[in-house]
Amino acid sequence: MLIETKDLSFTYMPGTPFQVEALQHVNISIGQGEFIGIIGETGSGKSTLVQHFNGLLKPTSGQILVEGKDIWAGETDLRALRSRISMLFQFPEHQLFEETVFKDVSFGPRNLGLNGNELVERVRFGLESMGLDYNSYKDRSPFQLSGGEKRRVAMAGILAMRPQVIVLDEPTAGMDPVGRKQLLECVQRLHREEKLTVILVTHNMEEVSRLAGRLFVFCRGRLVLQGSPAEVFKAAAPLRETGLEIPALSELMLRLQERGKDVRTGLFSVEEVAAEIQRLFREGRL
Amino acid sequence: MNGPIIETKGLSYFYSLDGQREIRALDNLSLQIYEGEYVCLIGPNGSGKSTLARHLNALLLPAAGEVYVDGLSTALEENRWEIRRRVGLVFQNPDNQIVATTVEEDVAFGLENLGVEPSQILKRVEEALELVEMKPLARHAPHLLSGGQKQRLAIAGILAMRPRCLLLDEPTAMLDPRGRREVLATVRMLNRQEKVTVVHITHFMEETLEADRIIVMDQGRIAYSGTPEEVFSGNLDLEALGLEMPPIPALALALRQAGLPLPLGILHVEQLVECLC
Repeated sequence: MLIETKDLSFTYMPGTPFQVEALQHVNISIGQGEFIGIIGETGSGKSTLVQHFNGLLKPTSGQILVEGKDIWAGETDLRALRSRISMLFQFPEHQLFEETVFKDVSFGPRNLGLNGNELVERVRFGLESMGLDYNSYKDRSPFQLSGGEKRRVAMAGILAMRPQVIVLDEPTAGMDPVGRKQLLECVQRLHREEKLTVILVTHNMEEVSRLAGRLFVFCRGRLVLQGSPAEVFKAAAPLRETGLEIPALSELMLRLQERGKDVRTGLFSVEEVAAEIQRLFREGRL
Repeated sequence: MNGPIIETKGLSYFYSLDGQREIRALDNLSLQIYEGEYVCLIGPNGSGKSTLARHLNALLLPAAGEVYVDGLSTALEENRWEIRRRVGLVFQNPDNQIVATTVEEDVAFGLENLGVEPSQILKRVEEALELVEMKPLARHAPHLLSGGQKQRLAIAGILAMRPRCLLLDEPTAMLDPRGRREVLATVRMLNRQEKVTVVHITHFMEETLEADRIIVMDQGRIAYSGTPEEVFSGNLDLEALGLEMPPIPALALALRQAGLPLPLGILHVEQLVECLC
């Protein structure tokens, strides 16, 4: 297992009147090359959890293991760990600071000691992975780009570190539909072609149901559901209790099933659902 | 339906880029919003939605053309306070629009500035909090509220001014599904029961399905204006406009094109279930 948590609990401001038990006894494991979705309401503990993956937070109790080793047992180089497991925070465009896109994207790898051609290649990889042409973007000021471009430049900076795992916390918040689609297509391609392990924290059920192989659902600091999107969205009632919503297409299939139609659930794209309904129609079972 | 509560005539606006070049954010735009309407404004980033909203309550003034609220022109300085009272604007980020240390004081803030009598203030604060279902939280500290509660508090602050029109600029962008449901339910109730005119800017196509009208913006102009049924009928190339079909209308369209006998105008899960069963 790449990342595992064992009975992980985390309390903010312990021993004060503001004490909050953000995570309680969480046990999960994430394998190399997986695409994981983490969902739950605001305050459910999602962001707290992912900040444990590369040692930004230290568990109050329990363990966090990366490749089987407890990262707080003393032998782990946390700096090196953070360049392997990289995190894109919410609204990462606020973290852009350099004069040119090149300088901004190269900041991380430069700090790793890279220079010359190798550095250029890293920046090129980062930008082109995010669908941004190296030559036309490298000399531009990051502050004159559109919101969607800024966010992709911020992400290019992380990819230029050549991480093994990327953790994306609400990467599409506030973006328009086209920006969302472009960004997620880039992430999907990186997962497929570069075998990058992706951990996506999101409120957007439609997105995550199409992209992730496995989902973890959090509610008030506890892991309440896990499984493939099909398994998770089959459990409609418990999902609603966690404050989440079922994607519209899953809801449709569940309703058809309730009305006695023999439809397969666990389909998440318009094309798949259309094909399934057409099949029933052709077979005269609608 | 009554006459327009908001009207723009040939409205243009420019932003200057690095002091030299100019970007045309609104381009000779004319529109009418009628009293009691629920209008959604959609369009890609940079299409001029927020710039337009800021003209409707005189936060921005036209470079060319005119904006009228209830017949009052935003060009005249003496009209602007009254216009801002009649047309309240709620922004995307609830944390940037809360000023006081308790919920009720925050709602009272605008009224105090208007010089409303204290006994009236108490009454209106209570009414406003009642409308957004926040009365039990009147003495709470705003920073401890959830995102959805904060956004409803921002709406209450505006309602207390008894506006005729509510402008919402991506009010749900920062919220989780529960917060989004709360805010949308509040806005819909205000529109239907309290007859407040609503102009709602959003990137979430699903949020537009219950609007009376959707205005699609592109490059500072109105690319299309119609009911949700019309906008999501498949006749409009939404992708070319940087938008997308919500899943249920997209599915209904795909099924009709495949030959299933479905009526036009299906927007919701329930409608499609009824048609298929």
